[in-house]
Amino acid sequence: MSGRLLRLAWRNLWRNARRTLIAMAAISLGYAMLLFVACLMAGLRQQMVESGTDLVLSDAEVHAPSYYPDRPINQTLGGRDGTDVSTLVAGITTDPRVEAASPRVYGYGLVSATHQSAGAQLLGVVPDQEQKITVLQRRMVKGSYLTGRIPKGVVMGDTLATTIGVEVGSEIVLLTPATDGSTGNDLYTVVGMFHTGLDSMDRDLVLMSIASLQDLVRLSPGRIHEVGIKLHDSDITAATKTAAALEMQLSKSFPVRVRAWPELAPELADYVIFNRRVTFILFLIFFLLAVMGIVNTMLMAIVARTRELGMLLAVGMRPVQLVGLIVAEAAILAGGSLFLGAALGSPVLWYLQVHGLYLGGSRGAISLGGVVVGPLWYGRQDFTAYTQVALGLAVTAVVSALYPALRAARFRPTEALRKV
Amino acid sequence: MAGVLLLVKIGWRNLWRNPRGTLLTALALGLGLTLLLISLGLLDGSHEQLVRNAVRFGTGHVVIQAQGYQDTGSLELLLPAQVVSTAGEFMHGEALKHVLRGMSPRLLASGLLSSAANASGVSMMGVIPKEERAVSLIPKRIVEGNYLNDDQQSGVVIGAELARKLAVKVGGKVVLMTQAVPAPGTEAADADEGEMQSTLLRVNGIFRTGIQAIDAHVIQLPLPEAQGLLGVPDRVNQVAVLLEREGDSLMVARSLRKQLTGLPVEVLTWRESMPTLAQSFVLDEAFNYVMNGVVLAMVGLGILNTILMRVLERRYEFGLCSALGLRPVQLAVMVVGESLALTAISLALGLLLGLTSQHYFATAGLDLRWFFKSSLPSALVFDPIIYSRLSVTRIASSVGTVFLTATVISFYPALKAARTELPGALRVF
Amino acid sequence: MGWPKGSIAICLALIWLSLGHFSQAADDQQAREIVDGVARLFISQSSIATVEMQITKEDLQRKITMQFWSVGESNILIRIRSPQEDAGTAILKTGGKIWYYLPKANRTVKIPASMMMSPWMGSDFTLDDLVKQSRLTNDYVIATSFDGQRDGVAMSEYTLTPKPSAVVVWGKIILEVRHSDHMPIRQRYYDEDGKLVRELTFSEYKTVSGRLIPTRLAMRPTGQAVEQTTVTYEKIIFGEPISAETFSRKNLKQ
Repeated sequence: MSGRLLRLAWRNLWRNARRTLIAMAAISLGYAMLLFVACLMAGLRQQMVESGTDLVLSDAEVHAPSYYPDRPINQTLGGRDGTDVSTLVAGITTDPRVEAASPRVYGYGLVSATHQSAGAQLLGVVPDQEQKITVLQRRMVKGSYLTGRIPKGVVMGDTLATTIGVEVGSEIVLLTPATDGSTGNDLYTVVGMFHTGLDSMDRDLVLMSIASLQDLVRLSPGRIHEVGIKLHDSDITAATKTAAALEMQLSKSFPVRVRAWPELAPELADYVIFNRRVTFILFLIFFLLAVMGIVNTMLMAIVARTRELGMLLAVGMRPVQLVGLIVAEAAILAGGSLFLGAALGSPVLWYLQVHGLYLGGSRGAISLGGVVVGPLWYGRQDFTAYTQVALGLAVTAVVSALYPALRAARFRPTEALRKV
Repeated sequence: MAGVLLLVKIGWRNLWRNPRGTLLTALALGLGLTLLLISLGLLDGSHEQLVRNAVRFGTGHVVIQAQGYQDTGSLELLLPAQVVSTAGEFMHGEALKHVLRGMSPRLLASGLLSSAANASGVSMMGVIPKEERAVSLIPKRIVEGNYLNDDQQSGVVIGAELARKLAVKVGGKVVLMTQAVPAPGTEAADADEGEMQSTLLRVNGIFRTGIQAIDAHVIQLPLPEAQGLLGVPDRVNQVAVLLEREGDSLMVARSLRKQLTGLPVEVLTWRESMPTLAQSFVLDEAFNYVMNGVVLAMVGLGILNTILMRVLERRYEFGLCSALGLRPVQLAVMVVGESLALTAISLALGLLLGLTSQHYFATAGLDLRWFFKSSLPSALVFDPIIYSRLSVTRIASSVGTVFLTATVISFYPALKAARTELPGALRVF
Repeated sequence: MGWPKGSIAICLALIWLSLGHFSQAADDQQAREIVDGVARLFISQSSIATVEMQITKEDLQRKITMQFWSVGESNILIRIRSPQEDAGTAILKTGGKIWYYLPKANRTVKIPASMMMSPWMGSDFTLDDLVKQSRLTNDYVIATSFDGQRDGVAMSEYTLTPKPSAVVVWGKIILEVRHSDHMPIRQRYYDEDGKLVRELTFSEYKTVSGRLIPTRLAMRPTGQAVEQTTVTYEKIIFGEPISAETFSRKNLKQ
């Protein structure tokens, strides 16, 4: 494309500034809105995944091969001899895709208070490490989370606490089959209660220190059931891939299975996929709307310039050059608009990611498909989507200018000039 | 005002001076409405479906239980027999039968299910197969064997996870053990649980819902058998009601409450009986809301753009009109008239296209699988086919909003037209 | 096999038989009597016993000594004497309910029915086994499947097939009984596909309190090479009166 044509294109655009600006406004606003939607969509997916995983599940879990899903108490990592837990955890954490990792022990038993008992799942954790991979500690409603100060302290769901009639400070007995077949039992103190909004947790989960659970079920300190992992990228495909890679790597020391959350919580994965598909279709619709707007704009602009274009032909511009001119104009217009749209959109996108969209209402924590989400809807940058949309719009702008451009090239200058 | 009428007529004829252009523009605008309607239908439809699928795994849109059952789940809280029949008659009566999709009385309890290989705690549901089929999704998720037959006396369907754990197949033997409900009036202290009863069952079918908690713990057996086991003939502790539309939940609950006044029952909507589920859909609703806003904004933008462009390119024409004596106000009115006419045509087109495609999606549904060759395990919980749902309210509000937007937006170009400067506008170049 | 339970004496068995409740075409009258005899081996009006249970698993060996009191099928008190970690733990089964006393926590806890099926104390027996043994003749159709010599012992083999309405999980049970003294040798439990699930072996027959009983019972689940649980009756006294007080919760805490 010759420089002269480009300069002409540029000047043409600015000769009718108002028309150009209106067209630019249309395209850039359309783009900005698509950015807005893409950002919210990505944020929604991320949020849904996180809240499904950030309470207890975590993004990925490492188990002995036959441990999941039945969770036989004897199937510890590294077999009966266990393993060096801190080395294992450290080894996992060195992987750049891993944000944090934490060891866990599970049990199932009877929680007994003075008058009532109920069955519950027992989870033994290392409090400071656990807090790096899950956020249950943010859901405390009474008392406090586990601390080192009270080694035989437990934290339970508020519904469970109500069912068996205990308060913070109450003493309870935990009764569970131990690994050696005996009936593990001991006294514990309730130090806190949490409320997640998820019945399965509030009614069924007791958290305690990993050491005290190991004592209760007669597991030596080196024997754990699981390492919970938090990943930097918890997207379905990314998480699954990372899990597979970790599995290969860890299997070199002893047999393990590493499962990412889509495998552990298929309903959640299902919902994410469902949502993704619905939003894709919506996105398509929005895109169509934007495209229609652009096509319309381009078309009208050309039609309005019939005289002007006719004149160019009359003074000797070749039809091919005319088409080139118009395409150049469209390209510059599109480029400028996209840039403008991105510029306008960026602060909004930033705001969405950092502060979120307030959903309003007195809802407090919201749970979604077994997952808890706050009252704020956070956006997340999805640069792939942004670029794809930009390209799509740019191509549309150019293509939609092409048809009328070709028409214009076939103008008979005399007729065109006669147009008013 | 004859003047206005004339102006509008002129406006109308202005439109048709360039029939192709006008139609194209109308189409463009109309498509905006079409897409709005489609996306609304899609959003509403998928939301509705999400809710319905979810409540079908639980207590339906509305549930009738003995008072206090929701809080305690105590086995002693049973529904008086007359409640079930009264409610049944009422729901099947003229007034409500068209909103009803199914009604299933159930007896729920927990127990222990054992096989030769293993044993596991279970949540048992005594159901009437015919009714349960209309309400629950479990009958639709049978993967081996069959669901319970209508006249079957004894049998059980269990989840795939449970079947695996107990190592049983269809036709295999399992023993269900549970505690009978203590007769009312027995001494308090030790009578919180009654006698332990057990019964032999043959596995009729195995289901897989994809939800771990259900596949590993839920079993369904014929209601009379469950009643016999628990020692409560003719009693149930829950009646789950499924409606055609989620939107009717509140109304139905209220009507039932009124019908059952005085009786010790609680009638809850799904939002009350499954609050965590309800909260999940808040986010989905918020999502809907935001999306609606975006679509509307984009359509509005399109309208603005189109109308603006139309007007701005006709400086000469307006200049001429002005020169011929038309006052600015009249010019403005003419422009507005045009815009409204254009909008009206667009809306008509858009509505036609929109309602047709919406109807298609409402009946045939939009099969998401068509769009995605899934590399991940197929969605078990969420139906891959979305059926569009569009209420008259939604259609009316969409049309109304678009019309209003178009009208308001046309004021700007109308203003611009009114301010046409004479000598300048007439200049050809 | 049975933990000692009380019930009426053998004469009740005869009354049952004479009522002909359970006569079915394939039944061998004599077979029924013999099987019934086995089922009622440990049943008595009352019994007090000292029992040692040895649990062997892949990597684990455990020995538990306990004391037993029982009256009837539904009243049982068990007190664990050793090992140290479990000493003092007591289990009371009465009126269809089960309580555990835990010395470490000094608490009595009621156990829900669901825990009943769990392997008891990590052994290969379940508490439920207690209840089921005495009902062999009620629940099963008995046929003689072998009569003669096996391993140098004259014995009969009976195949017990559950009656259609019997509330049992097994497909069939095969019981081997000695001709000489009608003592059981082996009891095998099969699932409905004919797969052997567990095997109970009887041995060390002694006359105690006027009765001949096998004092050693070993339960082995199939599929685990090493795993088994052996119960040995060190001392057992039948017929001595036990006060009802013994089966109270207060007594549990001793």
